[in-house]
Amino acid sequence: METRFETIDGRSTQFRLLLGVLVLLIIAGLWSTWVMYWEGLHVTGMNNRVPWGLQIIMAVFYVGLSAGSLVISSLYAIFGKKEYKPFARISVTLAILFLVAALLSIILDWGRPDRIFVPFQYFNPFSMFTINPFLYITYILICVVYLWAMFAERAKLIPVIATVAVVWAIGVHSGTGAIFGFVPRELYQSALSPPSFISAALSSGTAMMILVILALFRFTKRPLDEELLVRLGKLLGVFIFIVMYFIAVENTYRVYLPQSHHAGMYFLFGGIHSVVFWGGMIFVGMIIPVIILFNKRTGSSIPWIAFSSVLVVFGVLCERYLIVVPGQLAAPAIFPEWEITYSVIEEGAVTYTIGFLEIVQAVGILAIISFAFVLGLRFLKLLPTEARSLEA
Amino acid sequence: MDRRKFLRAGGIALTAPAFGCALQVPSTDESAGSGHTSSGQRWGMVVDVPKCREGCTTCMDACRAENNLPEPEDRRLDVHYIRKVRITRKHTAGELETPLPLLCNHCDNPPCVQVCPVKASFKREDGIVMCDAHRCIGCRYCLIACPYNARFFSYTEGVESPQNPDFPQRAHGVSQGCTFCSHLVDQGKLPACVTACEGIGARALIFGDLNDSDSEISRIMATNRAQGLREDLGTEPKVYYLGL
Repeated sequence: METRFETIDGRSTQFRLLLGVLVLLIIAGLWSTWVMYWEGLHVTGMNNRVPWGLQIIMAVFYVGLSAGSLVISSLYAIFGKKEYKPFARISVTLAILFLVAALLSIILDWGRPDRIFVPFQYFNPFSMFTINPFLYITYILICVVYLWAMFAERAKLIPVIATVAVVWAIGVHSGTGAIFGFVPRELYQSALSPPSFISAALSSGTAMMILVILALFRFTKRPLDEELLVRLGKLLGVFIFIVMYFIAVENTYRVYLPQSHHAGMYFLFGGIHSVVFWGGMIFVGMIIPVIILFNKRTGSSIPWIAFSSVLVVFGVLCERYLIVVPGQLAAPAIFPEWEITYSVIEEGAVTYTIGFLEIVQAVGILAIISFAFVLGLRFLKLLPTEARSLEA
Repeated sequence: MDRRKFLRAGGIALTAPAFGCALQVPSTDESAGSGHTSSGQRWGMVVDVPKCREGCTTCMDACRAENNLPEPEDRRLDVHYIRKVRITRKHTAGELETPLPLLCNHCDNPPCVQVCPVKASFKREDGIVMCDAHRCIGCRYCLIACPYNARFFSYTEGVESPQNPDFPQRAHGVSQGCTFCSHLVDQGKLPACVTACEGIGARALIFGDLNDSDSEISRIMATNRAQGLREDLGTEPKVYYLGL
């Protein structure tokens, strides 16, 4: 069976309507960026104690989504599973676009996005904020070559470049985890954050790919063998268990050791973020999807798999929030034996509410890559005519 | 898109940042970090905690005037290079409160310098840690990394009419923090907070050269048990607290 790829027609009203809506969202995102730049970042929910808000959460979320896309393509490119070839081009394209979204989120979040070229002039090779953009940009380039190899059907080059991309992706995700793990803050500092970041990346990315594949094939009315998605669903279930394991180890360690016991308890039971932890991430994002995916009946039903994929993406978004925010909310122990009873700034535990403009900006960035993806479908041969498992 | 077009587009994407660099006019002197300091000095401060007066804000006021910091409006956004706090022992909470100032500790191993992607945060040869407002991109990683909450971000514009015309206006969207008043120290003067504290006769702040064995600060350090904050973190702070 030879997989044929084609462009989409792009003359339907829905297609034009979709592009129009995306353009409006992009304009809204640019508007909020403009306001944030000219008014100052105090118009967001951020402050001196919580200087990293929604855009950093989204950046690490996008980096994670990129991983899962690459995994789907490597099933074909490295492990030779030809039945996944129909999804290979879409997944590498998304791997690139999600990384672009991550970079956009980081740069538009700067206090001075006009100094975009400063990092090219001066760089500190020991900063995770230098190491990561370097990894992201090189990773994007590797993926571009990878995509080109697939367009050119270079059968010998594909597994080589795919392996390079996967190895590089491990660097990308470990580096992203290290932005938080390698900082002397009680709820950030952890050697486990790089591997834990990879595992959450794999689960959210796989879930997102299931949803994208399903949406693309359904909307363009292409034949899709459901068995393929059922298998991806099983893979997703395994990834969720790995994330659960890392989260269990990390939190047990924190609560067990006297030096971090207090911070660990604050994380698990200390505020709204604890509701996000237990309710959003653990229950909605992990337990329910695992039950659905490993149940014989629901695990092989496409609507149920799609539903659990939505829950997993939501759960990992919660997990990204939990990586970024609670570490800033917790009171830093400047005087471990003492308590600060009065100060002119906020010294104890604080709160952070995501600002409206931050949300508009995040939606705008998502619209930018969605717009690029839709145009990609229109002008590049990304979509297969059909997807069938080999036995069928 | 055929292969040639694909490659050409990729080539443009690759080389564009390089041209961007070439066009960019350097905004800061590369040597700013190590310039105008005589070698061998290591500035530090001792806070004599029992001498710090309850309810007194002299050091904060002097700092704000010297460094053109805006008047406090919002606890969440205000910039305080030095701030007075009151602390109490956890187990005897409320019974006995001790006032003391917190400021940048000018660490020997400053986490803010380690994480800064563009080397805008730097440590001078004389140990003063500061942020180059002309280079800072405003990523706020230093605020995240500082274990003392001593870095602040310019969320809003600076003051409309600067109180101190000799000191540059605040830029918005960049990181800042105490500089030990490096502009005064380089003229052989004391930081504004230290002068002000001496001015009211409290003398709770002692500033000097830790490498000079004859300096007052070195004599205090040699004969007293002064401690830095969170020395367990390995940051090696150079603001020491006496009598804490």
